[in-house]
Amino acid sequence: MTGYQPHPWHLVEPSPWPLVGGSAAFTLTVGLVMWFHYNSISLMILGLVMIVATMIQWWRDVIREATFQGCHTSYVLSGLRRGMVLFIVSEVFFFLAFFWAFFHSSLAPTVELGVTWPPVGVHPLNAFAVPLLNTAVLLSSGVTVTWAHHALMEGKRTEAIQSLAITVMLGLYFTGLQAWEYYEAPFTIADSVYGSTFFVATGFHGLHVIIGSTFLMVCLGRQVFYHYTSSHHFGFEAAAWYWHFVDVVWLFLYVCIYWWGS
Amino acid sequence: MSDPEPGTYKVAEVKTAPFDARFPNTNQARYCWQGYIDFHRCTNIRGEDYEPCQYFKHVYRAMCPKSWSDMWDEQRESGTFAGRV
Amino acid sequence: MATPAQLGLMDAASPVMEEMIYFHDHVMLVLILITCLIFYSMLVLISSKYIYRFLTDGHVIETVWTVIPAIILVVVALPSLKLLYLTDELDNPQLTIKSVGHQWYWSYEYTDYYDIEFDSYMLPLGDLSKGDARLLEVDNRVVLPVDTSVRVLVTAADVIHSWTVPSLGLKMDAVPGRLNQLALQCSRVGTFYGQCSEICGANHSFMPIVIEAVPVEVFEGWCDMMLDEE
Repeated sequence: MTGYQPHPWHLVEPSPWPLVGGSAAFTLTVGLVMWFHYNSISLMILGLVMIVATMIQWWRDVIREATFQGCHTSYVLSGLRRGMVLFIVSEVFFFLAFFWAFFHSSLAPTVELGVTWPPVGVHPLNAFAVPLLNTAVLLSSGVTVTWAHHALMEGKRTEAIQSLAITVMLGLYFTGLQAWEYYEAPFTIADSVYGSTFFVATGFHGLHVIIGSTFLMVCLGRQVFYHYTSSHHFGFEAAAWYWHFVDVVWLFLYVCIYWWGS
Repeated sequence: MSDPEPGTYKVAEVKTAPFDARFPNTNQARYCWQGYIDFHRCTNIRGEDYEPCQYFKHVYRAMCPKSWSDMWDEQRESGTFAGRV
Repeated sequence: MATPAQLGLMDAASPVMEEMIYFHDHVMLVLILITCLIFYSMLVLISSKYIYRFLTDGHVIETVWTVIPAIILVVVALPSLKLLYLTDELDNPQLTIKSVGHQWYWSYEYTDYYDIEFDSYMLPLGDLSKGDARLLEVDNRVVLPVDTSVRVLVTAADVIHSWTVPSLGLKMDAVPGRLNQLALQCSRVGTFYGQCSEICGANHSFMPIVIEAVPVEVFEGWCDMMLDEE
């Protein structure tokens, strides 16, 4: 990044992370096969460590380019925005597939299930107990993340840190409640297509909550370390978009699978 | 609707399970299932000798693969059958 | 049954297959007309000496070459849909048979009144007689009466198979847990061959289907024979 640059784009420097990340993904894939077929988790652990290490260092480099080198011009930001939107749209279709599987199985239950939904012998969770609390928790976290955004834009540093911290804590609370609910559930992933669709759909949602919480935690750290300005904080905005997406998916999960599906 | 004497099989006299407007789909699994359920409900209520129940037996015999009805018979005996009969 | 180097479809042995052949001919006619027109246009274009540098758009011709193909597509789609729904029609079946796909053979059930059940395995090379079709003959054929409306229920016991008889215009996936219905009607006496049409494992190519369509009295005799054997 020396001297005159006749365009507003950010042309990235040579970086080891695509290659390292690819090797990590391959190691993880082979590691999963080793786990499934030989019940040996060592290669999978290695793959996971490599993935996490790549993510930390790659995004560290992105923060350096963005915050400290100023590579993220308004043009670059526009590209990042579109990229994030497309990523979230792809995630929407990812969940659409699970909802399709759920409705395919539940709207016309097969004879093996006793032609009813929930299937004969499956006792679903009470939608108005912990899942309703979870709904309240996630909706509140949507409020607090918006609060954090406004505080950030208005330059209220302490308020932004506090509200973001509350959002992260609500996210962790949700994960904890969900873990407890899984532990208590009277059915397993192996209990008919009910268990399969239930645990795959809510499980992947839970994974996304964990990813979103991590993303928000990183944003909280960056806010504490003065990375954000009141007008330039796309990292936070992307995390907030992602968090709202996770929130909306939960609402559909709650209404369709927990409530209607029980 | 008892079975005719062996050695006198006549296609013209065979009446297989007719088209049932409740099951218009290509997948006829529900027709088979419903016939099986109806027969066992019918005999549970009216007894084994009640002739009209035989119609449902005829339907499910025609529609269900042997392996399915045999499996359901076993499940009913062991109390794990999914349907209400 | 198909012959070596055969280009067209097999002779129809059912009303539905008859219709399918008519439809094939109809679509083929449309296709050949379009292909000829396009080839003619291409030849004229590349052999023409005329050049017009300022051609950027032509709304009239664009409308024409959008609307006319749309009409042609409708002309193809309407008989296609009609045939599609005709194939689904099962009018007052006389007889129900069940065909269950296994790795790697078919088993059949005739259970309208009696229980006639048998497995149908491919005949290995060593068991073939002179004139038999290699990889197509089976030990127990599906015997059916001609000119009779038959309901075939197709399912599978392990993986997905597909029950197919080209000369009757039939093909139905055999899916475990589903009971797929086919309407079968043979319009003439004969043996009709087919093969499993869904990759189902190592011996997928070695689980053929043979239908033997016979006069009704012969079928009745066959049923009695099968019952006596039990």
